[in-house]
Amino acid sequence: MNKQKLLGAAFISPALIAVIVFFLVPVILTVVFSFTNMSTSTGILGGEYQLTQSDLDDLSGAGVSDEAITLLQGAGYAMTDESLTAFETEFGKTRADELAQKFPDATFDSRRDMERALKELRTDPLRSTRERKAAAELFRQSILGQRYETKDDFANAVSALNISAADTQPLTEVAYTGWTFTTQNFELLWQLPATWRYAINTVIYVSLTLVFNVTLGLFLALSTFFLPDRIAQTFRTIWFLPRILPPVLYVMMWQWMTWDQGFISSLLAPLGVDRIDWMRHSAVHGWTVLVLINGFVGASLGMILFSSSLRAIPQTQFYAAQVDGAGRWQQIRYVILPQMRWPILFITSYQTLSLLTSFEYILLSTDGGPGRQTEVWALAAYHTALSNYGGNLEYGLGAAYALALVIIGIILSAIYLRFFNFRELVAKPRIEQ
Amino acid sequence: MRIHLQNFKKTFGDTTVIEDMNLTVEDGEMIALLGPSGCGKSTTLFAISGIHKINGGTLHFGDKDVTNLPAQERSVGVVFQNYALYPHMSVAQNIGFPLKVQKLKTAEINARVGEIAELVQIGNLLDRKPMQLSGGQQQRVALARALIRKPDVLLLDEPLANLDAKLRLEMRSEIRRLQRETGITAILVTHDQIEAMSMCDRIALMKDGRIEQISTPTQMYESPASHYVASFLGNPPISFLQAKADASLDLGHGNALPLPIGKAVQGELTLGIRPEHFGPQHDGPKISGQISFIEPQGREDLIDVMLPCGQKLRAIAPSGHGLKLEQDISWGTQMDRLHIFGADGTRL
Amino acid sequence: MRSRSNLFLIAILALISTPLVIMYVFQLIDSVSRPALGGFLPQTWELGNWRFLWETIDSARPSIWRVTFNTFVFAASTALLVCAFSITAAYALSRLNFPARRFFLAGLIMLHAFPTITLIIAIFIVLQFLGLYDSLIGVILVKAALELPFGIWIMKGFYDSVPWEIEMAGVQDGASRFRVWRELILPQVKPGLAALLIFSFLAGWSEFILPLVLAPGADAQVLATYMNAVIADDMRPDYGLFKAIGVFYALPVIAVYLLFQKQLMNIYGGGTKG
Repeated sequence: MNKQKLLGAAFISPALIAVIVFFLVPVILTVVFSFTNMSTSTGILGGEYQLTQSDLDDLSGAGVSDEAITLLQGAGYAMTDESLTAFETEFGKTRADELAQKFPDATFDSRRDMERALKELRTDPLRSTRERKAAAELFRQSILGQRYETKDDFANAVSALNISAADTQPLTEVAYTGWTFTTQNFELLWQLPATWRYAINTVIYVSLTLVFNVTLGLFLALSTFFLPDRIAQTFRTIWFLPRILPPVLYVMMWQWMTWDQGFISSLLAPLGVDRIDWMRHSAVHGWTVLVLINGFVGASLGMILFSSSLRAIPQTQFYAAQVDGAGRWQQIRYVILPQMRWPILFITSYQTLSLLTSFEYILLSTDGGPGRQTEVWALAAYHTALSNYGGNLEYGLGAAYALALVIIGIILSAIYLRFFNFRELVAKPRIEQ
Repeated sequence: MRIHLQNFKKTFGDTTVIEDMNLTVEDGEMIALLGPSGCGKSTTLFAISGIHKINGGTLHFGDKDVTNLPAQERSVGVVFQNYALYPHMSVAQNIGFPLKVQKLKTAEINARVGEIAELVQIGNLLDRKPMQLSGGQQQRVALARALIRKPDVLLLDEPLANLDAKLRLEMRSEIRRLQRETGITAILVTHDQIEAMSMCDRIALMKDGRIEQISTPTQMYESPASHYVASFLGNPPISFLQAKADASLDLGHGNALPLPIGKAVQGELTLGIRPEHFGPQHDGPKISGQISFIEPQGREDLIDVMLPCGQKLRAIAPSGHGLKLEQDISWGTQMDRLHIFGADGTRL
Repeated sequence: MRSRSNLFLIAILALISTPLVIMYVFQLIDSVSRPALGGFLPQTWELGNWRFLWETIDSARPSIWRVTFNTFVFAASTALLVCAFSITAAYALSRLNFPARRFFLAGLIMLHAFPTITLIIAIFIVLQFLGLYDSLIGVILVKAALELPFGIWIMKGFYDSVPWEIEMAGVQDGASRFRVWRELILPQVKPGLAALLIFSFLAGWSEFILPLVLAPGADAQVLATYMNAVIADDMRPDYGLFKAIGVFYALPVIAVYLLFQKQLMNIYGGGTKG
């Protein structure tokens, strides 16, 4: 009894670990990430703390008091060793020494005071205002542009500026460069017109391809069923190949067919038809080619499954139908189709799920073009998070796109569970010990 | 080895299939667990073999308590209905597998495989694969594999069900011969009364998880403990008649049989009359009716007689009787072979 | 009457099969010839299309042999991993009593249907966490894990069809459950295992998205990403070259298909992934 449980646990655990790491964790992470602003610029591990000049404009919006902002802006000017060294490299040793001697360890509240002090230089005066302004900047005490590795370092730096503790919290949030939790991805999805465009594209794509797939698959299965074996086998092979050919190769063949110097163009050129890119010329071209590319692959799956369920119909039923005087069409109508209900339903639901979520063939062919007119939801998720020409990969937003698909996937797989006779499936093992 | 199953209880989930069953098989005895499908006979067999857990009660092989031993540690040989030969192994490997598991030396395994193969008469087939054997040969291999490690008990689960009629007859006596020669204690599970009666020393007739009657085949046939037992044994089957016991056993519409001597019976009863105990060749009290069906069988004919009360009685008459359909008859009944069952089905 | 309607059927089938046949035929022709400018009929023999075999076609690209080796390692390792994990897990689900078996079975069916590709963003980040991003090992693990529910499903089907009595006979003969599995049951599911091995190998051989996203570097490049990069980087498409690479890439697939057609049909017919 215990031994059997032990063996069961040992046998199942490698698969279980793999499933947890690469299914369960990713599902959970997709949910988590969709509530973050994670992107290339925030990184995926932690971040640092840094305030920049441009952050200052956002500070009052983040609830930082004006007083604190002023403190940050004009944190004052001071004669420190560092600032003097910087000054020395820019403006020479003589001036630096004189300044150090005249104002040892002095601090100035504003730039005006600092510039006034600089005017005091006598041996080698800074004559132009521009020079004095630049020089004054070197003495400025500020945390702007400084990187702090930990939250505490940043807090120390802030408190050194006499900024109140109440302002430190919102300041820290603004200064953090890592990712944070937010709901803005969903707000963005809701607001962007492109979102609706992608959703509509997906519906167009899935429904067109599905109809094409199932009809063609059924036709292929039925027609090869009635043909002599050798001929049927030839056609089945022709239609089976797209299934096993690598997608990159299969789509390349279509590219060759459709590009502006390709087969279709070259075939039609002598007839006076303009050479165009038949894949990307217009949205209609794009959709047509996409449906064909996916449809030919999908139809072959339909063909295989439908063929095997056709062969499962007892031959005697066809003899009986023939004796009853039924023609081929009537056999299809009254003998075959009623028995194909389940396979058709199965293929339809199964392909709905895979068409909704797969983007491989679209990525390889139109890549969403022309424009974004054939961009479907799954491809948008990919583009947003994993392949963005802008360079900033928005993992959080991409995860929000993907989350919608994950949820649909879970719901549809749960429905898919109903296709199986689960009771029978979980029948107790017959050896009990 | 004596097998003793005491207060055996078996449950699947919430349903109790067998409750408080007792069964003793004497050393060297062959016993049949007979009953319709679903009566619990296979469950009992699997419990004895160790495939199923025993939920209550105890099981002893001889003096050894094996109730909680896993199948591997019980010494039980099983022949399955589909023989369950290992398809990828040769006949010799199949038969030798139990010994290989015991880590015996190859030479000894080979010797013992040869020995047992001779016993079951398949010495010339040792190199074949199971797929290349006929049903009867597979059966012999399965027997050899079950017997090779000289188990305490041999369990046979419907061993003849997958054979055609002629082979079945042959294997029936073959299995019995092997059991006698090896002297092994054996339990045969079957739903076929003829198998049970022809092969076994005793029969345990089961119904709904209980043993209805356990006795020798002859005893069970001649004095069935209940209506159920009587109906299960016998081919053609026994006929039952509703009767009212008063001064006589009244069958209605003028038909009546005298009260049996030495039995006090009263009220509504069921009479059981086997076909061989009613017919033109018999003396004894007459029952009248009309012939409704004649089924020639060669040596004898099977005749259905419709009684005036609307009940049917079956008779066996030697052929050449010259009887015709719808002929009115009045035939004798062997009163000493009459079975009388009470309202609850038990024999009076 | 019958033969006439057959002819009609064949004509329709031939018509709709034309695009595919044209693509297959020119795939072969164009790989060894060059068409006239703006035309499609082959003009001259052109073995230069196959130059990728003996030279690197442009500076930044790894050698085809390196890439082919990667692809083989990728496909073979995923296939082996999937098989190794599937034969044990499927057996447990099919035959062994252990806690939460019901739950695992329901989970398996759901995972079997679940569109794994939706998880790629999260997996991308998981791999970065694990430090396996941009390595062949990382993609191998991911691909194997994603194929696993399918593999377990298929193998479970094969285990389910092995008679229980064989297992019972083994136990009765004194063998432990592990030994029964190893010596008696596993040999019965060999055809299934072979089919799964071939199928997973082909799936790995053709895989594109996972290596593209999870191992974009030159070191872990496989034929799919290699070919895609060659196509994408070319300013002026050189279809002769593309097609030669394509033929090279597809050869093992075709060979495997021709050799193991029957086994493969088993899986494509019974299973439904893809």
